[in-house]
Amino acid sequence: MRSGLLVKLALLLAVFGILSSGLTGYYAFSAHRTMLVSAAQGDLLTAARGVNRRLLQAEEEAADDAMLLARLVQVAQVINGHGDRPARQARDELAQAFAGMLALHPEYLQVRLIGAADNGLELVRVDSAGGLTLRVDGQDLQEKGHFPYVFETLALPAGQIYQSAIGVNHERGAHDAEGRPGLMVATPLPRSDGQPGGLLVINLDLERLVGQLRADLPKGYQLYIANRWGDFLVHPDPAQTFGFEQGRRILMQDSFAATQPLFERKLNNLALSGLEQPQQAAGRVMAFVRQPVGQGNHDDFVVTGLVQPLDAVLESAVPLGQRIIHMVLAFSIIAILLAVVFARAMLRPINTLAQAASSFSETQLQQVLPVERNDEIGVLARNFERMQRQINSHMASLYDNQRELSYLAHHDSLTGLANRSLFFQRLEQLLQLSQRNGAPFAVLFVDLDHFKEVNDLHGHAIGDQVLQIVARRLLHTVRGSDMVARMGGDEYLILLQGNFSDDALGELIDKLRLSISEAMTVAGQRLEVGASIGYSLYPRDGSTAEQLVNEADHAMYHVKSGRRGGKVNSLPCG
Amino acid sequence: MAFNKNSLLTGIIGCLLCCQLAVAKDVLRVLAWPGYADPDVVHAFEQRFQVSVEVTFVDSDEALWAKMHAVAGPRFDVLAANTAEMQRYFAAGLLKPLDPALLPNTRRQLPRFRNLAAIPGLQQQGRLYAVPFTYSTMGIIYDRRQFAVPPDSMNVLWDPRYRHKVLDFNSGQHNFSFTALASGIAQPFALSAAQRDRLVQRLIALRRNVLTFYSLPEEGTELFIRHKIALMFGNYGTQQLNSLRQAGADVGYAIPREGVLAWLDCWAMTAASSKPRLAQQWINYMLEPAVSGLLPARQGLANTLSASDELKPGAKVLWLQPVENAALREALWQKIYSGDRPGSF
Repeated sequence: MRSGLLVKLALLLAVFGILSSGLTGYYAFSAHRTMLVSAAQGDLLTAARGVNRRLLQAEEEAADDAMLLARLVQVAQVINGHGDRPARQARDELAQAFAGMLALHPEYLQVRLIGAADNGLELVRVDSAGGLTLRVDGQDLQEKGHFPYVFETLALPAGQIYQSAIGVNHERGAHDAEGRPGLMVATPLPRSDGQPGGLLVINLDLERLVGQLRADLPKGYQLYIANRWGDFLVHPDPAQTFGFEQGRRILMQDSFAATQPLFERKLNNLALSGLEQPQQAAGRVMAFVRQPVGQGNHDDFVVTGLVQPLDAVLESAVPLGQRIIHMVLAFSIIAILLAVVFARAMLRPINTLAQAASSFSETQLQQVLPVERNDEIGVLARNFERMQRQINSHMASLYDNQRELSYLAHHDSLTGLANRSLFFQRLEQLLQLSQRNGAPFAVLFVDLDHFKEVNDLHGHAIGDQVLQIVARRLLHTVRGSDMVARMGGDEYLILLQGNFSDDALGELIDKLRLSISEAMTVAGQRLEVGASIGYSLYPRDGSTAEQLVNEADHAMYHVKSGRRGGKVNSLPCG
Repeated sequence: MAFNKNSLLTGIIGCLLCCQLAVAKDVLRVLAWPGYADPDVVHAFEQRFQVSVEVTFVDSDEALWAKMHAVAGPRFDVLAANTAEMQRYFAAGLLKPLDPALLPNTRRQLPRFRNLAAIPGLQQQGRLYAVPFTYSTMGIIYDRRQFAVPPDSMNVLWDPRYRHKVLDFNSGQHNFSFTALASGIAQPFALSAAQRDRLVQRLIALRRNVLTFYSLPEEGTELFIRHKIALMFGNYGTQQLNSLRQAGADVGYAIPREGVLAWLDCWAMTAASSKPRLAQQWINYMLEPAVSGLLPARQGLANTLSASDELKPGAKVLWLQPVENAALREALWQKIYSGDRPGSF
């Protein structure tokens, strides 16, 4: 029972300890993971903005280069067409400048001067072909007037920059640019009369730009770029890009549903993770940033997304997780040990109380209790002690009552002498003893003479006092070890231990009779009563209590009748 | 407790039985385009015929062809494809003839679609292989504010009055075909070499007259509005018309007197189908007014049951057919599109 409580309490404390350390560990671990993911989201957003900035930078560099080339004097010569020969020479010089520019920038695929006249016929064109520069001239020059980068740029005022949307180049014969995704950066070239004369256009290679961007990104980052309709332009799987070229729409909103608000222009950026949005970003951390493109272009933008596997982000949480598990295990062991120690310490006073209770119930002995404690156990101990005291006092009064009852059962209430029952008990005991050791004893039967007259004359109250006085006189006359009992009425019995001769008994009987018959003053009246005394001896007159008492009774009767007949003999006749 | 256990057991057995029944149900496998078999339509069919329907969607002719040729995966029972593609599938032996008696709903179709002989690709060797379902014409979309009278000829695209106010679709096949129509060539899908050479020059002329060529429908809409375009070749037909109107353009739709190119998607049954009756029940179901009626409402497409405002009964329609040499047309078109001059062909 007690060990059961110990186990339960220890278990409870241990469970609390383990739970609290486990929960603390779990909370620390998940807080750490959340922090990691949130940091990763921040990193991705920054990196996505960085990607956009780098793209923008590349476009601005191309724009600067286009502006630089546009300022060459040969450009004006070609556009304004000052005679055929100088224009021819100017074209050659421009071609050299364009080739130099191409050689300098591997991300440029074409540098061209396109005229506004002749349906946008190319005037000077240098392509990148197999990594080398190649001038395209003569009949190979093409009419480009129907391409947006031409008619849109021609519509711009001088000094402005046009930037096309990112798309796959379908211009046949564009050498390295053909079939490759890219964008055009162009600036208009007005004629000296202010009319649009042409444009200078640089063709940027998206793959080259993205390749550089990818190389700068941390490992494990996946780069996505979509145009304003959501069509993927950059995707880790190249087959997923420019789906619209094949009549299929492979949209960012479909792959990443959460990006929809970006395309609806409701959001400018977005970061989410599989930890917080498991539906939308299962197992991944991602960030998307909407980036406006072009200058003065009608609301064009791209959405750049960076995605990282959630596991990679949470990888660094693994060692911490392991350490937390170790700590939780260690704290759990400590908790178990402490639980046992505490449980024992807490149960010790309870055990003391329990032991005290069980020993008290067996021995009624009070043990030392922890009454000095100030806690509930102290209260319990004090209450228990009080209870013990109460029980002890109740027990004592119970014994007293019992003793009194027993006294009343064996004594005569009037005279305080032993009653007939107690006398016979003593007689039986003495008989048993004497039957073993042969010790003789005597039984005297005393009957008062003329007591009836006292009663009749003076009333029962006086009679009772007479009986009491006689009893006292009898007690005074016999030895302390002898027993005087009242048989009832005016009859007394006396048990005398020892070997008595008839003479010695006769003397004692005389002495008794004299003592009784001495005059007594009761309630102011002088009274005198006599007594007839008979006796029997053990073993001479009987071997049972009844025999002995009957014999003594008979002898007393003889004495009484003899005295009434004038004869005085207190001795039985044989 | 005992009662609970019993009811649990009963439940499990019931579930197993249900699964068994579900497994035992016939499964109809449908290969279709988005919008042709919406979930509610499929569900109603499943309820009526107590079958299970699995729909696989494709978004291009190539994807459809690839699915039909996939070695692994389920065998499809029915497919939807245009008339030109149907000829290809028939030639590859992938189709099973249909029983007109099982397709009573074809009687609800417009006369144009019941004249099977007039639509190449529906019949082969006198037997029915494909049933028209939906179509889209490629008419001329024009700005009503710039045209007092709707244009009635394809040649309006070449009209110098509308120089740089014309949009065309960036596609070799269709551009050759409608230029052939505009040039009075009777067989626009089967050009001779000489005809082709002549059309190249006409297409260069067209290139010089257009503002640009669009690819995506939304791109076309945006260009139309931003550059105040007068007219465009409506490759996406009435769907494009709707999106332009939604964008605020006051546009009309004209069917040129030379005729209009149109694609016509049909339902057909695969040769591999093991449930021809169910497959034809599906095709018949697709022609119910309640089902076909969803095409204009949900997809902006025309159905074969009711006349559309854009296509008058007498209008000449040239349903797309495989062209004589698609690769050559495309290669020539790439040169034209890239800006090659007349002398470089």
